[in-house]
Amino acid sequence: MAIKYTAKVIEHFKSPHNIGVIENADACATEGSPACGDEITVYLKINKATDRIEDVKFQSYGCASNIATGSIITDLAKGKTIDEAEAITWKQAADELGGLPPVKMHCSVLAVDGLRSAIRKYKKEVKGIDYDSTLDVKTVTEELKHVLWPPVGVDIITLKLVKYIGIDQGAVKVEISINSDDKFLDPTINEIVEHVSKIRGVKSVNVENV
Amino acid sequence: MIYLDNFRSTMVAPEVWETMRTAAIDEYAVPAAFTQCGTGAAELIERAQDRLATAIGASQNEVVFTGSGTEAINIALWGGVWAQTVDKPEIVTSEIEYPATLAVYRALEKEGYKAHYIKVDGEGMYDLDQLSSVLNEHTVMVSMMGVNHMIGTIEPLAQAGTIVAEASQRAGRRIPFHVDFASALQTQRLDVDAVKADLVSFSSNKIHGPKGVGALYVRKGTKIRPITFGSESYSPLVPGTPNTMGIAGFDKAVELLYATFDKDVERMRGLTNRLAAGIREHVPHILLNGPDSAGRAASHLCYSFLFIEGEAIMMFLDMDGIVVDTGSACAAATLKPNYILMAIGRNHEQAHGSIRFTLSRYNTEADVDTALAKLIPIVERLRAQSTIRPPAQ
Repeated sequence: MAIKYTAKVIEHFKSPHNIGVIENADACATEGSPACGDEITVYLKINKATDRIEDVKFQSYGCASNIATGSIITDLAKGKTIDEAEAITWKQAADELGGLPPVKMHCSVLAVDGLRSAIRKYKKEVKGIDYDSTLDVKTVTEELKHVLWPPVGVDIITLKLVKYIGIDQGAVKVEISINSDDKFLDPTINEIVEHVSKIRGVKSVNVENV
Repeated sequence: MIYLDNFRSTMVAPEVWETMRTAAIDEYAVPAAFTQCGTGAAELIERAQDRLATAIGASQNEVVFTGSGTEAINIALWGGVWAQTVDKPEIVTSEIEYPATLAVYRALEKEGYKAHYIKVDGEGMYDLDQLSSVLNEHTVMVSMMGVNHMIGTIEPLAQAGTIVAEASQRAGRRIPFHVDFASALQTQRLDVDAVKADLVSFSSNKIHGPKGVGALYVRKGTKIRPITFGSESYSPLVPGTPNTMGIAGFDKAVELLYATFDKDVERMRGLTNRLAAGIREHVPHILLNGPDSAGRAASHLCYSFLFIEGEAIMMFLDMDGIVVDTGSACAAATLKPNYILMAIGRNHEQAHGSIRFTLSRYNTEADVDTALAKLIPIVERLRAQSTIRPPAQ
């Protein structure tokens, strides 16, 4: 099957909106890592009286899908209140782009995560609202909803690929059930480790395919 | 369009297409004895066998035509190991082989064969000491390649062949040595005796021939069993009706290849050197993947552009009408960085920024200059918008 980007993705990839840095940003957050593939940084300028996003910019070390999603979610976020912007989902971003190939969905998740992290940082630092919850099965489950199974672009919790989550003094064990010679097994394990590692209080992540 | 992805596949040469058209229309009969049309088709195949055989220092009946390079590799490897009865059989290849070879090895591992994967150095050269050390009385196959498709390394086949021959003497039987020459045929001459090869695989579409045809050299006396079965053909290894149209096209491609071989190789070497010099002059923060200059296939160049991602570079070049390839995980169907770049010690980030330029005899100096002129601003632009910055000067 031919994997193609939509005209909208190409348009945003070619001429991304809101690219760059905001000096003295009210919040900024980076998601992803070069080692795992893409990385995105989102900068926010927020009106402290109205909590409205006055300006938003992003930078991307990433592929077309990552750059295009960064462009579209910064468009969507601009002018919205932080609560409205925080509610933007990766599904919305992908829909705005006319869809993304399933295998590239995780790049759009990353861009949305970047926006959300920046907003939560602002909420924590400026408004004193702390989102970082305690390390428990629920937090890990929520985080794993951001790990997509590449062939279909649906998260591994919804697909019931996660069989067990165990937590013992900061050591997290995740058991998944994926065919051992599936070509997406290794990248998916890497992504699980990347996501779970960033939860506060996590000391180690052990993923086992059962 | 400026096509710089010739290690993936090449344009069918106009003369090749003309030959195929004639073969399809005038020589459509199944090769057979006695009738004029049947013998005509049989002679077409014999001519093609003879031409390729002569080019590699072999005899006509040591060459058969397959459905692809991948099929040639499958016949060589499965057919070669199945023909031997050795206790606790072991198979040897390297970690940077073409996916077809690695896929067969993994399948053989599941069948109980013990596989050894030879490591390579930072430029992709085989560790020949390791090769010597793993060969033993259990070895039933050694498979190596002439030129690495991702990084262009010209591998030391003759030394590898000697090592296999010495191990064969110690083992008291011939250990078959298979050479994947598909990526090498365009720029390297081959003498099957000089490299002591028993089996050699070729692919037509890498040298301006059609897709759907490859070839396999089988040294006389090599133990090999067919892996497919069907009606009688010119060789039991390739039963069924031969693809005369494809074979005629491949034959023409081989003829054209050797008609201007040295001149073309020298010219392509000049073009890749020109591109490399231009990249080095105008683009900072780059890494050459594979050996420099003479150690690299003449038509091949692979650079990593640091701090940016290869799929994005590839797509921008594509929009400018320039076709290249990348080893980035983002562009791979598996979301994994290219295994060959990882094997030569690149990290994920360096593999992500890799772009492979592979030329053909049809490329010109203007192609290379245009590609460079388009590449420079693309790299600058992607770097300007990247989260990763070069370290401060």
